[in-house]
Amino acid sequence: MQVAQARNNGKQMKRSAIADSAKCSAEYLSGLLSKVALEQSRAAFSELFSYFAPRLLAYGTRQFGNEAIASDLVQETMTNVWHKAHLFKADKGSPTTWIFTIARNIRFDFLRKNKHRMNDLSADDLWPILAETNESFDDDVSLDQTVLLQEIQSYYAQLPDNQRIVIEKIYLEGKSQQEVSDALEIPLGTVKSRTRLALQKLKEMIVSHD
Amino acid sequence: MIKFHPNDQLIEKYAAGSLCTATSVAVATHVDMCSRCQQQVKDAEEIMARRVLQDIRTPRSANLEAMFEQIIESRPPKELKQEQVDPFISLEGKKFRLPSTLARQKHRIGHWSWVPGKMMKAHVDIGEQETLDLIYMAENSKVPEHTHRGQEITLVLNGVFNDEKNEYRDGDFVLLDKKHTHTPETQHEDCLTLASLDAPLYFTSGIARLLNPFSNLFFK
Repeated sequence: MQVAQARNNGKQMKRSAIADSAKCSAEYLSGLLSKVALEQSRAAFSELFSYFAPRLLAYGTRQFGNEAIASDLVQETMTNVWHKAHLFKADKGSPTTWIFTIARNIRFDFLRKNKHRMNDLSADDLWPILAETNESFDDDVSLDQTVLLQEIQSYYAQLPDNQRIVIEKIYLEGKSQQEVSDALEIPLGTVKSRTRLALQKLKEMIVSHD
Repeated sequence: MIKFHPNDQLIEKYAAGSLCTATSVAVATHVDMCSRCQQQVKDAEEIMARRVLQDIRTPRSANLEAMFEQIIESRPPKELKQEQVDPFISLEGKKFRLPSTLARQKHRIGHWSWVPGKMMKAHVDIGEQETLDLIYMAENSKVPEHTHRGQEITLVLNGVFNDEKNEYRDGDFVLLDKKHTHTPETQHEDCLTLASLDAPLYFTSGIARLLNPFSNLFFK
């Protein structure tokens, strides 16, 4: 696949490959993204910008046949990268893929902008990659509280005590994970992992009983 | 076990964001239900990302340095909240769980109405001139034999239906066009499907042909 791509793109590919080889590894780019997320590092963002902006511009220009619109696409994509780098999860894919999917979503909405109506379905509805997710729901368990209660009461009892207590406090008493951590005098990380394990187990039970 | 999947071309176009809205929703919903296609979409995104972001363009007019400064100074975009929606809908005294893409679009689902053949239908308003419907077939219901003037996608959300050739169950993604004539029906079990249709059905047999002038009222 890569060989075929390199052949297709000839010299351009060779030139950029040499210049970027050290600086375009997924690990390196992930490191830059986490510096942006944790420290709002301007230097890290500057490197990301010099790497991705000209590439996004090439993508956008091919898609829209118009450099002005393409540069709006670059700006909107990189603005999200700057402000939402914390939503990048290295274990779910490479930085290049993440940034591409942001640009893809923006392009999807750009193409529908002309006939825009209030109710139009947007790319975020299909690919909610930029939505803030509640930590305990970071896979797609989408159960709201009342449904959760109705559905799982019978499965509930099957959870190990330490997980059930955490779930009870969060979903019955409405406590935050931090409050649960304080109340039970256990680390926040433990609350989070117990919540995740419990929800996972409940999800499995729900799915297998469906 | 899901037997029918979107083909590679559909997966690739979906990952590229190039499908029309109704088809995108149908594929996204199938992907919610199908771990095989989740992986395929992931792979397609990865390959595409590498491919489309490998060339560099030096801007003729745009000034990237100025853009950089603007971005640094910009205010954060509006925060998108992942809302927790009740994923269940009730129909005829039964509860159905919507896959997450559809659950997020629950507010777009209109009223249910009866259509001929012991079926119910609710329009999903995606804001385009495209047709996306939830269709519920009760037990022992039957759509008269028909062909499609455009392209029809049917995704089984829950239950089972069959036509002359196959049986379709949860997660099965069926794409038909004017080459295909079929008579979908349910037997002992009911079936909830998501259907996108880009032209009215065309009934091909017997008295059902009388429905043709009205088929867009029922099915579109």
